[in-house]
Amino acid sequence: MGTQHPLNTIGKPVAKVDGRELVTGKARFTADMKLPGMVYGYQARSGVPSAKLLAIDTEKARRSDGVLDVFTAEDIPGPNLIGILPPFDQPVMADKEIRYAGETIALVVGETREQAKQGARKISPSYQVLTPILTVDDALKENARKIHPQGNITFSKELIKGDARKGLEDADVVVTGTYETSFQEHAYLEPEAVCAVPHGDNRITIYASCQSPFHLRGHIANNLGVPATRVKVVQAYTGGSFGGKDDVAVEIGILAGTAALKLNRPVMISHEREESIKGSNVRHAARIEYTTGAKKDGTLTARVAKVYLDGGAYASESPFVTMKALIHAAGPYVVDNVSVEVTTVYTNKTYAGAFRGFGVPQVTFASESQMDELAKELGMDPLALREKNGLKAGDLTATSQSYDSSVGFLETVRAIRTVRDRFTVEKNDDRYVYGTGVASLLQGISNGAEGVDVVGASVQMSQDGSVLVGCGLTELGQGSRTVFAQIASEVLGCNMDRVVVRQVDTDSVHDSGPTVASRTTTVGGMAVKKAAEQVAGSLKKMASLMFKIDEEHIELKEGFAVLKQDTNASIPLSEVATAAYWTGFPLMNLAFSQAPPVDYDHDTHQGDIYLAYNFGTHLMKVQIDTYTGEVRVLHHAAAHDVGRVVNPLGVTGQIEGASLIGYGLAHLERIEYADGIIRNPNFADYAVPSIKDRLPTETILIEDPTPNGPFGAKGVGEPPVAGAAAAFANAVADATGHRFRNLPVTREDITSVFRKEA
Amino acid sequence: MNIYFTCNGKQISLDVDPGIRVLDLLRDVLNLYGTKEGCGRGECGACTILMDGKAVNACLMYASKLDGREVLTIEGIEGEDGALHPVQESFLEEGAIQCGFCTPGMVLSTKALLDELPEPDTKEIEEALSGNMCRCTGYAKIIKAVEKSAERLQEKS
Repeated sequence: MGTQHPLNTIGKPVAKVDGRELVTGKARFTADMKLPGMVYGYQARSGVPSAKLLAIDTEKARRSDGVLDVFTAEDIPGPNLIGILPPFDQPVMADKEIRYAGETIALVVGETREQAKQGARKISPSYQVLTPILTVDDALKENARKIHPQGNITFSKELIKGDARKGLEDADVVVTGTYETSFQEHAYLEPEAVCAVPHGDNRITIYASCQSPFHLRGHIANNLGVPATRVKVVQAYTGGSFGGKDDVAVEIGILAGTAALKLNRPVMISHEREESIKGSNVRHAARIEYTTGAKKDGTLTARVAKVYLDGGAYASESPFVTMKALIHAAGPYVVDNVSVEVTTVYTNKTYAGAFRGFGVPQVTFASESQMDELAKELGMDPLALREKNGLKAGDLTATSQSYDSSVGFLETVRAIRTVRDRFTVEKNDDRYVYGTGVASLLQGISNGAEGVDVVGASVQMSQDGSVLVGCGLTELGQGSRTVFAQIASEVLGCNMDRVVVRQVDTDSVHDSGPTVASRTTTVGGMAVKKAAEQVAGSLKKMASLMFKIDEEHIELKEGFAVLKQDTNASIPLSEVATAAYWTGFPLMNLAFSQAPPVDYDHDTHQGDIYLAYNFGTHLMKVQIDTYTGEVRVLHHAAAHDVGRVVNPLGVTGQIEGASLIGYGLAHLERIEYADGIIRNPNFADYAVPSIKDRLPTETILIEDPTPNGPFGAKGVGEPPVAGAAAAFANAVADATGHRFRNLPVTREDITSVFRKEA
Repeated sequence: MNIYFTCNGKQISLDVDPGIRVLDLLRDVLNLYGTKEGCGRGECGACTILMDGKAVNACLMYASKLDGREVLTIEGIEGEDGALHPVQESFLEEGAIQCGFCTPGMVLSTKALLDELPEPDTKEIEEALSGNMCRCTGYAKIIKAVEKSAERLQEKS
């Protein structure tokens, strides 16, 4: 831990540092900006899932009331190409081929948004319509039309540990099944928006509702044909993202930027809900063929999974989602023999990409369904089976990585057993049946061997002792600014209200990579801690001169430099900071946190990958109305090993919120397609959980600190999605006696089982 | 057409296109950006305002309907001295805010509820907020915030 004295701020519940401007409505989101001369862009979309684009007639649109200009692919100054991992495959606007029905074909700019929209309706494309490829099976057929020149496989990876075939031969019991999950929409409350503002000095500022400003800057500059440093991306207050405001923010950032430079006026693009659903990425739908073998005593001998992810029209984050699914498919268990193959496939549907959980919820649903099916075959208690095989410190994960500490998995299982023991078993009656389901999971924290984990943070103290923190990772509602403020406050011994964590703009903070992978508290927090420690060093050095005593006798606490031996002897930090300034001790530092080096084999997927895992076990207790299929969740418990709680209010909020997204995935939410067109692009037809659907979540926090996170903290933003979804499926199976292998398990699915029985 | 109404305690007289939405009038004409647009179809509640004390969706109403009415937006519920309204304080304290985009609507729906039912039970809270979507919090802390708001307002009265 390295911290001797009790912590002052870490672990205490604190209100969001940016909460006041949000609760008063004063926070300006992107669409709340109004600038002199500002005009509005609206995208014309393809409307067909697959076609050769022969020509676009823009004349009628140009003559439409209030329309100033129309832009098509050829107007993009740069390569008209975006993506996450090179070689990029996604045009900003379709040029030759249409690959999904929501694809942008033109941008119409008008004096008002309504005029731009009316103009966009008058865009008239000529197509040679192609038969769309709408399923993974069709895409993988030998003679299938190629959606992209290289074929229809986006990405395919295989993980091999031990000898899975032999492991299955050695098993006494083998269970096997095929599991499917559906496309899920992020449904953040704020639709995507950007505002591009050209400046006289050849620079352009892009205000954006976005997740990863440097990712935007790179792509926007490249497609505008200007050096990156001519583009400044400012992350405005962002109304939720969950992985969804990367690709689409890049796309509309480039569109608005292109128009702004040509017209020399600020250009706003703010999406309507329907555009948001049709034109931005979703969670991958999955089909998972899973087999598990075990000895009679429950010891797992092998796990074999073949996973197909429907990635839609473009790669987006598919390479990394593929990898996450691969690494997590075997679950939080010691399994000597593992074989996992994950293949992501192109289809003519809205592209799939990052969404909270990133491939883990899908494979966890399959893996945990298998664990329950196995427990049933073995006549074993589901929790006992998980406990028997659960990872402990020193054990090898599916990639054969071991951790000396911070493997609190078994504590989560035991905590959930205690919860389960509290309840009596309800008796089924004519109408209602009851069931309890558990599910365990792990989720890698950090990009790890998938990418890089360098995060830069700056901390400066002014002469009055107030503190400014900057970090390249973004606030999306999850509370990162609050966590960073707590960490700076803890290290510098100043009160929280003396700390400001600035909004992110690419001029002022170091490129810290994307705000993903539940890594913000862990990797970002570590950078803030390091930067703050350097400033604290200057303060202690100064205080040591002022007290005329060695530094080791001084601590920074509650706004003062204090003598440890005599806490009455104290100097306000403002005086220490002022003296340090006049003495020439640095009061600002830029520090980097870097994950420990990894040793990873990208062919077999064996080796060290993540700097830590979050472990969890969930329980759901349900009552099902066999007449109507209505499911009432009577209790939900979520136990997670979070390393160290930084802000109890924030961590429980993350677990409650992520769990409800998992519940939506498992029970309510599904993007419906008909002939490649989304049929439910609104909140009347796409069921986002309402307050009536909320879960009665009991959060249990296990603290097994990691040396790789600030004060031991590990992220928890994503993991509960998988736990809640899988526990729901197992609870429904327990209640109904029927194993549903497709998510969502809807009310109709449930009633159809009872109808058959009747 | 000319309309006269009260907005956040101020008398407003405007010549407006009667066909524009109240949402656009508030945001584009009166610069009250705390009222958010999340769906434009009355399905998410981000644009909730109070009209004559009742929570309504500003995206579903034409500006002409404001004539003679009393409107309250998020900008109008703070105290004179800038102090937070007890509902706002409770949302902040209970961690009922994450991204904050739904928050103004949530706060106003809560105020409408508590003005009518000072001691609501959970079902009544659910009913009153069922038109306000939140994708971040999972709603548990929002329920707590409403309960805390009720207590605070009771103490005050």
